This record gives sequence, structure tokens and C-alpha cells, in this order.
Amino acid sequence: MVKIALEALASCAGCEISILDLHEDLVKLLDQAEIVYAPVLMDVKEVPEGIDIAIVSGSVRNEENQERLEELREKSKILIAYGTCACYGGITGMADLYTSEEVTSRTYSDNPSTVPSELPNEVVPELLSIVHPAADFTEIDGFIPGCPPKEQLTHDILIPLINDEAPDVPKKSVCADCQREMEHIENDKIYRRVEGDPEPGKCFLSQGYVCLGSVTLGRCGGLCTEAGVPCHGCGGPSLDVIREPSHDIYNGVIKRIAHISKMPEKDVEKQLYDIGHVVYGFVIGSTIMEDKQVSLIPQLVKK
Amino acid sequence: MKQIEISPVTRIEGHAKITVQVDDAGNVSDAHFHVMEIRGFEKFLEGAAVEEAPRITPRICGICQTAHHLAAAKATDQVFGLEPPETAKKLRELMLLGQYIHSHSLHFYFLGAPDLVMGPDSDPAMRNVIGILKSNPDLAMMAINTRKIGQEITGVVGGKPISPVTAIPGGQSKGLTSDDVNKLLPRAKEAINLIEKGVEVAKPLFEQYSEAVEALGTIETHFGALTNGDGIEFYDGPAKIIDKSGGAVYEFAANDYLDYIEEKVQPWSYLKFPYLKQLGFPDGNYRVGPLARLNVAGTIPTEKASELFAEYKDAYGIAQNPLLYHYARLIELMYAAERAVQLLEDDSITGTDIRQGLSGSLMTKEEAKQSSETKRGVGMIEATRGILIHDYETDGAGFINRANLIVSTGQNNLSMDIGVRETAKAMIQGEDVSEGFKNRLEMIVRAYDPCLSCATHAIDGSSPLQVDIYDSEGQLLRKHLL
Repeated sequence: MVKIALEALASCAGCEISILDLHEDLVKLLDQAEIVYAPVLMDVKEVPEGIDIAIVSGSVRNEENQERLEELREKSKILIAYGTCACYGGITGMADLYTSEEVTSRTYSDNPSTVPSELPNEVVPELLSIVHPAADFTEIDGFIPGCPPKEQLTHDILIPLINDEAPDVPKKSVCADCQREMEHIENDKIYRRVEGDPEPGKCFLSQGYVCLGSVTLGRCGGLCTEAGVPCHGCGGPSLDVIREPSHDIYNGVIKRIAHISKMPEKDVEKQLYDIGHVVYGFVIGSTIMEDKQVSLIPQLVKK
Repeated sequence: MKQIEISPVTRIEGHAKITVQVDDAGNVSDAHFHVMEIRGFEKFLEGAAVEEAPRITPRICGICQTAHHLAAAKATDQVFGLEPPETAKKLRELMLLGQYIHSHSLHFYFLGAPDLVMGPDSDPAMRNVIGILKSNPDLAMMAINTRKIGQEITGVVGGKPISPVTAIPGGQSKGLTSDDVNKLLPRAKEAINLIEKGVEVAKPLFEQYSEAVEALGTIETHFGALTNGDGIEFYDGPAKIIDKSGGAVYEFAANDYLDYIEEKVQPWSYLKFPYLKQLGFPDGNYRVGPLARLNVAGTIPTEKASELFAEYKDAYGIAQNPLLYHYARLIELMYAAERAVQLLEDDSITGTDIRQGLSGSLMTKEEAKQSSETKRGVGMIEATRGILIHDYETDGAGFINRANLIVSTGQNNLSMDIGVRETAKAMIQGEDVSEGFKNRLEMIVRAYDPCLSCATHAIDGSSPLQVDIYDSEGQLLRKHLL
């Protein structure tokens, strides 16, 4: 029996739910593998030895997260960073847009419903100031981004891994899965998502909306664009963006909008209204994305 | 003075621990439920275009993302002055029902029930859903199938089963087709049958463990829930507060919550303690969630759930015992499936008028800087774990200046803390505490189905279960792992 461990670091548990979303396939999987450690599901309180596959979700926010990650690394043959938080810091990386003091004072001392108080400091662990993806601390054998990863993808990866085979994963961007038709237009305005009424079936970029489908890894099936909502980039950067030092989510999406709308890139840049939340929303904590020469992340973070 | 520590509390969502102080005579002098995380969402929403909040806030919690998605959407409706059409409201309610079916079945079968199905003192290695799968595969498959139906409903209506996206300012980005309805309706009906079987298995457990129901974490409090007059309500309505005997105390609209709810910070927990402002702390302690909703509601407007509700009311009246949260959760699970069928059988659910768009143009960022205008939106909803409030204040252009979130689990924080302490005092003598006793303390916390990603936002990892023994000067004598 292959031994699997599930651990959530700084996570929302959505990744664990996505594994449970294998539904009856989970039962089949448990014929070949056993879950030996998963605090959200079972009462084993200590990481056992001899784990074959450890699946770690969430980002790293304190020493305890880091120690747990390193312990899992030591005790596991294969360590997988599962979900966009573990791979790139995820949406909680947005906390880096503010200092730790700003974050905690908004909750405890400068808050409309709260009797102003000091930051809690007994028994609870001290906070660190920055969000880290798992790979900042240890060697990772496999990255499965997605917020959360789609259950079919998880199935297609876990089953071969359990059988000691190499999984075959899609490598295209969200655009490749999106059914909307792209067309070149003459347009000089970028619209906020609350403005207008997007036409179904037509590419969001071709309608003046910021959509990150072209710079996002597409293993989701383009579900959001199908549901009438532009891509927010939750799957993490596309392989083109990751591989090329001069490629970035921000410059990638600007080039794409300029190309489709015939608007000069400078005009596109002027109109982008919320870079931190809309463009870099899921990767602000990512060292890889921050270190790119063209990245604007260093200008956005306060930490 | 010695300290017993239970860390991490398992089979809950998020990171927490329980500490118990034992004095030199072997009596419990104090005990607390500590939440080890803090959320940064309130701060980092600042600067965001408010229409992005419904996409950002589902990541507060991967279990009850739909509730955050919808509370945020309701707040943005208000910021832009938009009223979703009736079909859009029904779609949002249906999406929320999918959430209830998934979350309640997850909690009952996967997290809570193992204590009752396997027993509080059973082998910890088997006391989980996988143990149930081995010992009672039919029950486990029922659990898996019920939750799957909930996720299917949310997936179709919300675009994705986890972190849905279709609620946008003024309504929905996507409607339902008749094909969608033909796919979902039989599944919702199937959920009713599955839940009926689940209830048959579960109901005897409350009698079997009536002693635990009586003894664990018992407390008397006020209760708060949304209401639509007399009926149970998940999506919209004022909040109603009742006292411990069921008498109505207050009723308030979302925008007035600051006049009724205040939060206290304790130095030993990152999770704040909300209470009723006019009654002060701790007298103003109140609870939310399934137990509170069934205490506040006079009626449930669906057939099977109302039968279960009548039986439950006869047995428990205004229920106070935390373990009855499980029972109340099952009744709500039935209501959610029946109500989903009602909505799917409603012809207007496939209506195409699903969004009120913005009339007129938005201020630019520059214009907003010059203007002193601010806007506010407050979205209040029943998340599976209780009342959830998203309060956004924006500039004239709709960029968030300040966000405040009151989450369900926070409102049960004081009751979890008191419940753990009083039960520890009653049950524990000396420092050698059996695993089963420790698990009973965890069962109190588990009954509330706390969602600590919501309650805070994850910063902390967990440590192995260890007991730290201190001497009366507070010096650490020894640590041992269990």
C-alpha cells in the first residue's frame, strides 16, 4: 500500500476539499493507497515515518509551517506542492501589499466593531511578515497549481504516481480551453468588471475587459470564462511566463490587450486600475515572479 | 500547576489547540480554546476594486466559499445601488443550498460523526471517515454521494464547485438552461433519499449518546439567525436575536450590525470574541449556526424537514447542548435538498433576466481622489456555520477603503471556550488524562464545526499532540509526545 500524507499549511482547506471531490474515485484510490496522516480528516497527531507521497497545500507563514514542511520532506519519498498557495503563495500573498503592523492593527486595534486591543501574544505563535511558497524552503518533486486544482487533474496525477509512473499533464494556457472567440478590435478603453454587459461567446479581451487567460496555466477547462467571468489567474502563470525571464503576467497581459485592441501599450498601462488585486493577485508571494527583471511586484510589496 | 495541551485539534477546519491548567491538588483551574491563526483579508482587500471582492473572499475558506462569495456580492450590489432580479436571487439561493448540502454532509459524516458512529473512546486510527469506509461502506458511500450532489449544484450554478464565480454586482453572470435543470433536478431528489437514509442512521446515535449530549460543553446563551418572519432563512433577511428561553430580543438589518455586535480581543487567541453590544461581555454571549437557526425559526417550509423539525422541537425545545448542533445540521441538510428541488421545479429559475447592469458611468480614480464621496455596502447571509457579515466602505469610484468581516465561527468562540473549560473542570482530575477524555473536549469544539480559515486567516501550522508539564512556577518540567 502506498502511504499518502495530506498537510495544510497556511491554507483555506479548499485544496483538501478538491481531493475529497474525487468522490467515489477516492474510494478506488484507497484500494491502492492509504492516508496515514491528514489532520483535517483524522486524529493522527504526529507525522509518521515512511510516507510515499506527501501532498502539501497552503503557503508558509511561520517557523512552525517551515518545520512541518521540512519534516514532511524528510519523511516522504515524493513531496508535492499542491495548489497555487503552495506553488506561488496564492491569494494570501496579497497580505504582502501591507506591513504586518497594518494587517494586524486593522483587525485588533483599528476596527469598527472591535474594542481596541493589543495584538494577542500569549500561547499563540508570533507572526512572520511575509508569505512564502513551499519551494522557498525545500526541494519539491512536483508542482500542481490551481485554486484549487481540478479534481480530474488530481485524479490524472495521483493514479500514475501511486503506480510509480510519470503523470502526463496539460501544458497549455487557459485560452486554449476557452471557447470564446477572439477578434481584433479598435478599442481605447479598459472596462472594470462591473461596467457594461459582456457578450457571451466573445473573448473578454476583445471586449475591453482584463482577462488573464493568455498568461495563466490552463488545467481548469476555462470554467470561469464559460461562466461569464474573466480569468483571474488562479491557476498560476502559464509555462511561457514561467520559463522566459523577460515574460511576466503584467507585461504579458498588456502586450496581449495592445495587440487585440490596437491601443499603444502605454495607454493600456495607464488604464489598468488595480494591479495588485487583479493582475498579480495569486503570485505576489512568489519569489520566482518577484525576481523577474520586468516584474512590478517589488514596487507593490511593503514588506 | 500543570498544563495539558491538545494540539492540533483534529477533524476541524484550521489550526487550534486546547490547553488545560491543573493545580497541585489535581483540579482544573482553567482551560481555553486557542485559535492559532490570523487573517489578513480585511486589510488586503483595501485598494481593491470592490467588484473583485466576490472573487477574492471565497479564498478565505475552501469549505464555505459560496457564503463568502454571496455575502461579498450582496455588499457590492449595495455599493453600486443595484437590485438583482428575482431569478438572480433564486440562483444565488440555489448556489447556497449546494453549499449547505456539501458542507453539512462533509461536517456530519466526514468530521463529526466518526465520534458517534465509532464512539468517543474508539481507536483514534479508525475514528475517521476512512474507518467508517472500512466498517460501514454503505454509510460512507452515502456520505460521499450526498456531498457530491451539493458540489454538482454549486458547480453548475456557480461555475465552479470550489470558489464559485457567477455572483456579480447586480445579479448573476450566467443563468441556468433547461438542460442544467434536467441534470440537477433528479440529483437533488436523490439527495433527499440519501439524507433520509442518513437520518435513520444518525437519529438513534443521539439517544445512544444522550449522556454525552447532556454533559459535553453545555451552556445557555442567546442565539442569532436571519429570519423571514417565522421561517428558516439562509440567503436574505434581518437578523433576529433571541434569549435563552426563545424570547425575541432584537431584530436588525445588515447595515445596522455595528449597533448590536461588538468584538473583544483576548490575548491568548487570534480569534476575536463577538458579543451583543448592549448586554456587554460576557453577558451578551450568543451563538449562531444550525442550532441557533432552528431555535430562532418557528417553521421549516418543506415536508420532510418540517417533520424532523417538529420531532426535534418536541424533544429539545430551545436546544442548548452543543452536540445537538449535529442533529440540527441534519435537519437543515434535509431542508436544503428539499428547497433545492423546489427552486429547480420553479419555472422562473431558467429566466434570462438575471442582472441589473450599471446605469451611468463610474467615477475615475482621479475623480474619486478629488471627491469626498464614499459608498458602503453590507452583505449579511447565513453561512453554513452561522451569520456572516461583509462590510465594505469604498471611495466614490468603488475602490475599498475599509473592510470589516464578522464571520460565523467567531460568534461561537466564547461558547466553545466556556464549554471546553467547564467540561474539563467536571471531567478531569489530575494530569493523567485518557485519550478518550481529550477527544471529548475536541468533540465540543467539533460540534460547532468551527471554520478557522474563516475565523482568522491561516498563518499557523500545527504541532504534534504533546503534553507539556509545568511546575507551579511555570517552568517546563518535561514534554512528551502522545
